[in-house]
Amino acid sequence: MKRRQLCFLLLLTLLVILPAVAFSADEALHSVWAVKDCKVIVQPGRVIEKGVIIIRDGLIEYAGANTVIPADAEIIDGTGLTAYAGFIDAFGDSTLKMPEEKTDPSKAYSGDYSDRERGIAPEIKAYDYANLTKAGITKFHKNGITAALVLPSKGIFTGQASLFSLSQTVKEKAVIIKDNLLGIGFSASSVTGYPDSLMGVIAFLKQEFADLAYYIMHTSRWEKDMNGISRPEYKAEFEELLPFFTGKKQVVFLCRNQYDIIRAIKIGSEYKLKYLICDIGGEAFRVIPELKKSGVPVLLALGFKSPSTSIYSQQGKDVRSEAERELYPSNAARLAEAGIKFAFSSYSTPEPDKFLGNIMIAVEKGLATEKALRALTVDAASFFGVERALGTIEAGKIANLVISQGDPLLKESKVKYVFADGIKFDMKEKKAEEGEKPTVNVSGKWEVTTEGGMGMKYTLELTQEEATLSGKRITQYGQDEFTDGTVSGNQISFTISISAMGRMVDIYISGVVEGDTINGTISFGAMGSAEFTGKRIP
Amino acid sequence: MKPTRFNFLLISILVLSVSVIAVAEKDEILLKNGNIITISGADIKGGDILIKGSKIEKIGKNIKAGTDALVIDLHGKWVMSGIIDSHSHIAVEGGVNETGNLMTAEVDVKDVLDPEDYNIFLALAGGVTTIHTMHGSANPIGGRGIVLKLRWGSTATEMIFKGAPETVKWALGENPKQSGFSMGKGRYPKTRMGVEASIRAIFEEARDYMKAWDDYNKKKDNKVKPLPPKKDIRLEVIADVLRGKYLIRCHAYQAEEMLSIMKLCKEYGVKLAVFEHGLEGYRITNELIKYGVGVSTFADFWAYKWEAFKTMPHSAALMAKRGVLIALNSDDAERMRRLYLDAAKTIRFGGLSENEALRLITINPAKMLGVDKWVGTLEPGKDADIAIFNGHPLDPYTFCEMTMVDGKVLFDRAKYFEDRKKAEEIKKQKEERKKAEEMKKKESEKKPDENQKKPDPKSIETQAPKGGN
Repeated sequence: MKRRQLCFLLLLTLLVILPAVAFSADEALHSVWAVKDCKVIVQPGRVIEKGVIIIRDGLIEYAGANTVIPADAEIIDGTGLTAYAGFIDAFGDSTLKMPEEKTDPSKAYSGDYSDRERGIAPEIKAYDYANLTKAGITKFHKNGITAALVLPSKGIFTGQASLFSLSQTVKEKAVIIKDNLLGIGFSASSVTGYPDSLMGVIAFLKQEFADLAYYIMHTSRWEKDMNGISRPEYKAEFEELLPFFTGKKQVVFLCRNQYDIIRAIKIGSEYKLKYLICDIGGEAFRVIPELKKSGVPVLLALGFKSPSTSIYSQQGKDVRSEAERELYPSNAARLAEAGIKFAFSSYSTPEPDKFLGNIMIAVEKGLATEKALRALTVDAASFFGVERALGTIEAGKIANLVISQGDPLLKESKVKYVFADGIKFDMKEKKAEEGEKPTVNVSGKWEVTTEGGMGMKYTLELTQEEATLSGKRITQYGQDEFTDGTVSGNQISFTISISAMGRMVDIYISGVVEGDTINGTISFGAMGSAEFTGKRIP
Repeated sequence: MKPTRFNFLLISILVLSVSVIAVAEKDEILLKNGNIITISGADIKGGDILIKGSKIEKIGKNIKAGTDALVIDLHGKWVMSGIIDSHSHIAVEGGVNETGNLMTAEVDVKDVLDPEDYNIFLALAGGVTTIHTMHGSANPIGGRGIVLKLRWGSTATEMIFKGAPETVKWALGENPKQSGFSMGKGRYPKTRMGVEASIRAIFEEARDYMKAWDDYNKKKDNKVKPLPPKKDIRLEVIADVLRGKYLIRCHAYQAEEMLSIMKLCKEYGVKLAVFEHGLEGYRITNELIKYGVGVSTFADFWAYKWEAFKTMPHSAALMAKRGVLIALNSDDAERMRRLYLDAAKTIRFGGLSENEALRLITINPAKMLGVDKWVGTLEPGKDADIAIFNGHPLDPYTFCEMTMVDGKVLFDRAKYFEDRKKAEEIKKQKEERKKAEEMKKKESEKKPDENQKKPDPKSIETQAPKGGN
């Protein structure tokens, strides 16, 4: 990593000097907006056919049939458009960039694993590792998602979640609630000490909760009267767990199959936890009576894959694929039918396209669109206790909303604008459509040399499909992929998100193609740029 | 451990797996004209069994059933009580060994049951109706095990054999000492004596734990209330072991370590229920009988490692003849499906009678598991757990045709093949339909080709120019 770090030395120095820079400032120029003559879905089931929405300073100031449009507002003509509350991704980890885990192989002999290696990491905060990049946020926006709950998913105590509004890369500003939810998983890390089996994980949890109860009892007795009682040992791990164990905050059980759900309900009720169930395995529909009895909300992942423990996974390919085509996609519809509340999680479908695409499949399998919308907005907000701030288009709420051509959850609908924290984002269908028709084809490999003192050589692999450009940058240290690049006339441009010193940085590359040569600029936004030359590798 | 052999056979329709359950849910069933092996008494040629609800009502000749009863004519097929496998690891999710610690009595197989493990169904296909599924042999004291009735199609809780005592798995020898392991933690102990010492050590720990609680309970109502001891689930289970709450199932191969652990157990007032494998048990039958411990072993599986060398396929029969309580177990999902053939081997090698041989897979394991009141023989009042074979179960050409648990038919070979045939037909029809659709598509694609002879000038304009080389 050394050379790469050197390359970004300048950039990093600037990062220290300048405060973190929000991307593309013009998107945030106006803070007052008025959307008029627009169909407004206030919340699923409540529609204003022709309404007005006023957005001021990040909040919805007015949403209703008619009002006087403030003089300082920039007006958006909403004729023929539909506005609805931005979707909430109820659990995902795709925006997390966790530090690389390196386990010392000699530990296999000593068995001397750290708690974190054993998957016991309640101190990990998603907030600290969340990486909100422009490219990442745009992906969510294109699918109408404006808020996401981020939570690490590995281990037993997986870490603490944060809910982000997808309005900016500055997470200090984007965060809505921090450390609100503790993840509990059932998968043991296979070779890293106790526990290394599922039954071990369950025994571990029981012992851990017994120890926590003792810690609370001991501490409170000592605090009541410090005389005549040995003082309790301070335990950082327990201090992290306390608010979740005592029901002040919620936990979420990450369930890989139907049995995990039963286990979660058992543990949750036995220890009187305030808890949610994340149905990673997509098998909630197989334990409906138990879920109904528990009254616990479910965060549904949308992988539509039959878990290996399922009977449908053990009788050959045909049975399995039939189940995955017919049965598993009907999960949400069946829960809705049974009156179990749920939200949707992008965990098994980290690409937002697939997330939304699979929700549409769930709708095809019998889930009412209104229920789906409810799960994506009001219900998700209420599970995290932020229903006063998110989930509907009502005055006083955070201005997270989507304006699209066509109603939500229809394949033919197109998202036009997204507001997150009152910041407007224009969704372009394909950036290239506004440019000229491409006159070049850059598909293939290119050897790129950057100019200047810290000149560097690397390979670009480009794939051009008409005016869109995707590909990857291959350096000796790894690969960085990109999509959403454009070709206009003989000009190319694209953005690569790279990680430098544990931070994601967007670099913008643009160039002019002449025959087998590209000349252009690599720009680090406001923090400087460098020239480069690329030669086609035959 | 998942089935591979049968996978290719098991095709299509999702209901297949559950369809077998629906066969006979009548309250009264009469099995007519079978050759009944009662185990507890003499065989009955051309006999009948009347089942009411989940229990056997009557066994004998010319039994008359009520008008509502389902009557199954067996045409002279062989009927036996369902086979009981006293040592297995199927229907367990997420690993059968917790190797993260030396002593793991706190873990419990009951917490991780997988009632959809297809091996359960395949076990039914081999006439097995009750199993003991348990922790592996990685640790001197592993986890708790559980007795299951193979009520295929039920939940984990419903499968648990009600009334069966809970068990704890122990292990001696190579597996817990791990001295031959190239990888893994360099953990204590590395010798057989170390394994035994580790058991002694945790007994002492558990005694201290029990004493700490006793002391606390005496003082807890004092004016100055003492702090209670910390709850330790592992030691609580070991304490219950010392109190005799569990049936102890101790994995051991060598005669010396079996003798040694029996001595240790006597010292602590602990009673071993069964030695698992116990391949050298034939050398110490007097001691085994005197102590009163059973041996759950293999018919002819040995020499797969050093400690399993000094035995022979006569071992089980030799022990049984001397009066040791012996069972033949599977320890394996595949062997589980042919335990009746393993029983036959004890006749060939050890000269057991037919009845003695069949006891090894029925009433004997039932006794070991403390469920002989309910299962293990065909007698009025017992559970209607019944296996029906096309020939005598000790004949090598025999296979199981039907298996009932609690009076419900959960495996029916004829129906199973019928379902499979149907599924194949459905699949074939689907494929043919698909083919036909594809043919249609191809034909319709050909037609526009002819129309394209005239080039459309617009299409040329919009074609993207091909730049570069």
